[in-house]
Amino acid sequence: MSDTGVPSYLIPRVSPEAAEFFAGALRGELRIQRCPNCGLHHHYPRLACPHCGSERLEWITATGLGSLHSFTVIRQNGIPPFKEQVPFVVGLVDLDEPGARFIAQLPTVAPEDAVIGMRLRATYRPASDEVAFVDFGPDA
Amino acid sequence: MTRRVCVAGVGLADGPKTPDLSALMLQAQAFGRAAADANMTKQEIDGLASAGYGGMHEVQLAEYLGLTPHWLDSTSCGGSSFEFHLLHAYRAIQAGDVDTVAIVYGNNEFSAAGRSLGTGRAGGGGAAAMPYPMSWELPTGLTLVGAYAMAAQRHMHQYGTTSEQLASISVQTREHAGRNPNAMYRDPITVDDVLGSRLVADPLHKLDCCVVSDGGCAIVLTTEERAKESGRPLVYVRGAAAGMTHHSIQAMPDLTVTAGAVTGPKAFTEAGISPADVDTFQMYDSFTYTVLVCLEDLGFAPKGEGGPFVASGALRLGGALPTNTDGGGLSATHPGMRGLFLMCEAVRQLRGEAGDSQVDGAEIAVAHGSGGWLSTMGTVVFGTEPA
Repeated sequence: MSDTGVPSYLIPRVSPEAAEFFAGALRGELRIQRCPNCGLHHHYPRLACPHCGSERLEWITATGLGSLHSFTVIRQNGIPPFKEQVPFVVGLVDLDEPGARFIAQLPTVAPEDAVIGMRLRATYRPASDEVAFVDFGPDA
Repeated sequence: MTRRVCVAGVGLADGPKTPDLSALMLQAQAFGRAAADANMTKQEIDGLASAGYGGMHEVQLAEYLGLTPHWLDSTSCGGSSFEFHLLHAYRAIQAGDVDTVAIVYGNNEFSAAGRSLGTGRAGGGGAAAMPYPMSWELPTGLTLVGAYAMAAQRHMHQYGTTSEQLASISVQTREHAGRNPNAMYRDPITVDDVLGSRLVADPLHKLDCCVVSDGGCAIVLTTEERAKESGRPLVYVRGAAAGMTHHSIQAMPDLTVTAGAVTGPKAFTEAGISPADVDTFQMYDSFTYTVLVCLEDLGFAPKGEGGPFVASGALRLGGALPTNTDGGGLSATHPGMRGLFLMCEAVRQLRGEAGDSQVDGAEIAVAHGSGGWLSTMGTVVFGTEPA
């Protein structure tokens, strides 16, 4: 565990297909996979395109911009540190890159300000030497 | 010609709170009652299906019961596992691979863990040990309730569905629980009570969420010929279908459409029925939204009109579609997974054994299970006559 304050049980093991994603997030870049065969993007990273099945994937640096597809306000979560953080917003973000949807915490969006369709921008939060989490906040 | 398949026995374990019974005891109790209901000895049961959270559930249970079945199914895809089991057993009996299958579930969910509303437990080992898809969700602080809540929120946005409409599902289900002496909560509630209960994950309130109870259930599926020997009223499997759309909520293709949109019509076609023919609907009510979206997907209401449909009182006894007549997961019983209880209640209705919650003259009953995070769906059509 590093000194980021993120409990170790929240930090995923870096699976091989996700190594590029986490390396990018640590640099402050949103790296996602694009499929040259069907032209669509996806997230989380995979061996093959979940849209068309092609294994010929390329990595791109996404704009980090997207729109809120849906959200919830978590008001009860028994696990630290969330237990102390409630209420907070978790959303599904449709990235501007077609095909990719991202689940993220929206720590800078107040529960009463969350609205479907709002424009969002990615921010990066190191969790360990190998992993950074991607949050989203208002694109102001 | 394939063989016709019937339910010969159903059994419920004690509940809703059984601090002195382990999970296996609840399973064995339900199994014994279902076998007795079918007038069968355990030696006559040559197939066994079960699901749980670990592995080899049905193998453990067979050993515990002293069974040596030659047909097994441990499909474990969440709360709808049992509709998958039924589909598999139905086909295997039709084909002649096996004659009699018991599907069994039981868990001391309440006594072992208490009421956490799906908000309190990290998987053992945390994100590093989680299934890969879930390892992307856990660090966001999303809860199980939150996943359903995001889907409900999207439905509200697209179709104008309201919290009052969702709440009406809880209210009508509680009316049925009032008629079930074994229900966890029986006192009547109002829409205002639901809206006044605390928000767990917007827009879902505490009373939009199912209970956590102890309990167990078993059903015995067999050939029509063998079922007639049991002496119980015949209940036929007329059609069944199962499917999935995603594992984690981030990958749900459309938050307002489940795999029920495929499994419902497929099962209804096999059964030779339309939604209008259904006398009672037993629907996995993990959350109020689960009921609403699946009512639409199975064709009981057009897409987007589930809200007005439920608010009309359709789910009540005497309503257009009496639903969850035992009080459902919202008020009666939810020991971790509920899919099997749906089928038990459907059978009881068709036998005329549903007591104060009987739907008069019920001839067609549908059970629809939902598992995971609106992930896996299974539809089963039962009837008093074959298809």
